[in-house]
Amino acid sequence: MANVLWLQGGACSGNTMSFLNAEEPSVCDLVTDFGINVLWHPSLGMELGDNLQRLLRNCISGETDLDILVFEGSIVNAPNGTGAWNRFADRPMKDWVQELAGVAKFVVAVGDCATWGGIPAMAPNPSESEGLQFLKRDAGGFLGTDYQSQAGFPVINIPGCPAHPDWITQILVAIATGRLDDITLDEFNRPQTFFKSFTQTGCTRNIHFAYKSSSDEFSQRTGCLFYDLGCRGPMTHSSCNRILWNRVSSKTRAGMPCLGCTEPEFPFHDLAPGTVFKTQTIMGVPKELPTGVNKKDYALLTVVAKDAMPAWAEDDIFTV
Amino acid sequence: MTATSAVQTLDISPVGRVEGDLDVRVDIRDGQVVNAWTRAELFRGFEIILKGKDPQAGLIVTPRACGICGGSHLTCASWALDTAWGTEVPRNAILARNLGQLAESIQSIPRYFYGLYAIDLTNKKYEQSAFYEEACRRFAPYTGTSYEQGVTISGKPVEIYALLGGQWPHSSYMVPGGVMCAPTLTDITRAWSILEYFRTNWLEPMWLGCSLERYEQIQTYDDFMAWIDEKPEHANSDLGFYWRMGLDIGLDTYGGGCGRYVTWGYLPHEDRYQKPTIEGRNAALIMKSGVYDSYTDTHSLMRQDLARENTAHAWYDEGTNDIHPFDRTTQPIQNNSHDYDGAYSWSTAVRHIELGRLEAGALARQLVAGGRHGEDWQHYDGFILDAFKKMGGPNIHLRQLARVHELVKLYRQAEHCLREFHLKEPFYIKPTEKDGRGWGATEAARGALCHWVEVEGGKIKNYQMIAPTTWNVGPRDNEGVRGPIEEALIGTPIADPTDPVEVGHVARSFDSCLVCTVHAHDGKTGEELARFRTA
Repeated sequence: MANVLWLQGGACSGNTMSFLNAEEPSVCDLVTDFGINVLWHPSLGMELGDNLQRLLRNCISGETDLDILVFEGSIVNAPNGTGAWNRFADRPMKDWVQELAGVAKFVVAVGDCATWGGIPAMAPNPSESEGLQFLKRDAGGFLGTDYQSQAGFPVINIPGCPAHPDWITQILVAIATGRLDDITLDEFNRPQTFFKSFTQTGCTRNIHFAYKSSSDEFSQRTGCLFYDLGCRGPMTHSSCNRILWNRVSSKTRAGMPCLGCTEPEFPFHDLAPGTVFKTQTIMGVPKELPTGVNKKDYALLTVVAKDAMPAWAEDDIFTV
Repeated sequence: MTATSAVQTLDISPVGRVEGDLDVRVDIRDGQVVNAWTRAELFRGFEIILKGKDPQAGLIVTPRACGICGGSHLTCASWALDTAWGTEVPRNAILARNLGQLAESIQSIPRYFYGLYAIDLTNKKYEQSAFYEEACRRFAPYTGTSYEQGVTISGKPVEIYALLGGQWPHSSYMVPGGVMCAPTLTDITRAWSILEYFRTNWLEPMWLGCSLERYEQIQTYDDFMAWIDEKPEHANSDLGFYWRMGLDIGLDTYGGGCGRYVTWGYLPHEDRYQKPTIEGRNAALIMKSGVYDSYTDTHSLMRQDLARENTAHAWYDEGTNDIHPFDRTTQPIQNNSHDYDGAYSWSTAVRHIELGRLEAGALARQLVAGGRHGEDWQHYDGFILDAFKKMGGPNIHLRQLARVHELVKLYRQAEHCLREFHLKEPFYIKPTEKDGRGWGATEAARGALCHWVEVEGGKIKNYQMIAPTTWNVGPRDNEGVRGPIEEALIGTPIADPTDPVEVGHVARSFDSCLVCTVHAHDGKTGEELARFRTA
């Protein structure tokens, strides 16, 4: 049995909605079959008002074991570091988080807001938002680089906007069943099992990427979205095309460029004019190349790929 | 009630299960709420973030204003740019946008009903009801038979959204000029089978206890009550059971509200809105827009230029007069302390320029659907308006019935979209970017949602949103008029002040969504921002 408390700070509830889409295990399976005891959740909990405040205080005092604290949403520090722009249960949410993180065996940040600050922390960051242990790429965040939960782990980061439901449920199950040691975290404390491969890994448009056949405007079934439409699939770490979304698809499969939402910089370029759904180029060459590829080799690849491109690569192979 | 009876003030922080954090203060006298204040307690400043950004930034940012109604935000964001840029949107794209909107709303009904609303029926307060034991068996969180089936199956409809947009929540597949996808035949057949699965595994056997066709025969409140009595399968379906229990425990006796209702209308017809304009929208909608005034029993069309925001009792330094969203210059105040004579919420008070405060949501949509205003071909359904009149006005139970009554209609509209796609025709016509003002609207599951955008010099000059919960959860306005939920709380009986489940019932019957409300604020300049940033 593992007690889970799920709270939301500067959040849109998107990770909760994503979590509720889970199957195998579903959210109900987690409770009935995997020994997860949800102490409280903003969308699911029974308690309100004073009864909830008592529940939170019991966690802090140790009367109730807090095995896993799941946090969704950014830590809101505005105005002037007080956190009063995000009050919860009668006090700044960040004060609750500070105390609860001190007693939790594990802390799991779900979604970009809780991991790196996400959309609320985008310039000019009016809510003074940050993630639990990072602000964008900078380590530290709200809890600081030295923070460790009672079990000796840093905040386990499950980024994504939102995080995939299976990423969340599988980490919760791993913790609840004592198998967290099987999981390796990367430099951003993301479980490598989900975030070592690229978004591009498994994309149905890979063959078009290889031949540099581009989808140059929206709603084309064929072509790669990297060259013109700003797709970040080759530079983004996620398993979106291995563990499909809602069991059926992924953004790049459907024709939407990857926005890089599992990386700390999301949303990239702060969505400055001219950067949305458009590949940034210099002299026709993408400013950002697929991870690990240098400019010279990219130029070479381009020549060879275009030269080798078979005629069918420009046809619609996903035809009606 | 005696003149000497004491007033007890109860602060409920948070109410919970309303999506986001809602705080309520009520004054109770003789076991009844005599005054109420609703507070939104989170400020993220999304419209501030959007200022100066790429014109299409709203397509990425606004779905993330609300993970629950993200597809509805995307709908508004794309139609707003369509009207600003003067795009042409192909027929297939209108259908693909509508289908995404429908999938999200269909998802929301079981998820909201079981996950957020019905579990209150297992509260010990109702132990004496003959329905209590069965309610616990069905609706207990995680383990209730209907809860488990309903919450799990709520993930199915949005698989259709993922076929179009790659994922739900938080896709940005709708763009000015159409959509990013071009579905193949297998996407369409798979979407059909998902709908069928939803119908045959939950909607008909568990929710209705009858076929969609039998349910569709219900035209009046008497028809509905006769349907319940017709067969045990109807009476014992989750809908039939809920309705009977609600009458038994008195959910039809409180939670009224302000008596005037608003909907922007939704689902533009695929053949009537290919050249979208702000002015042309009302006549192009399948589900018509409107305002219903129950005091005069009249219907009228709703337009964006009739909406106003008032910040007299909200944490903004913007005077006390009504402001149209295009003209707002959001100035959040530093000190957001609770001053019930002054400001006490991040939500603004939204008003109709002539009719004042309006309730948004499914009840509003269904009361408007019963009007004879609008175009002859538009959707008409008189059931909920008839029930409203037979029951003597609004209440929690009717608000809930309106919400779930939409399910079968939305299902039929989704079927329509799937039938009407012409897969070999375009889903996108590349538009030309330009400056201008735009407005996009829809009905999220929980009510009227719209975006205003102003593009100048190739970037966003001003972006404004009014969410359904902004209408409903807003504080008092400059005339001291209570917001719809504040008004609905008046008269609420409180049996146990330590567990005020009745307040929860009222708040949850509006399906409030605070995450979406509390950033419907915009507009400062960069210099002013520096004033309240620490970094």
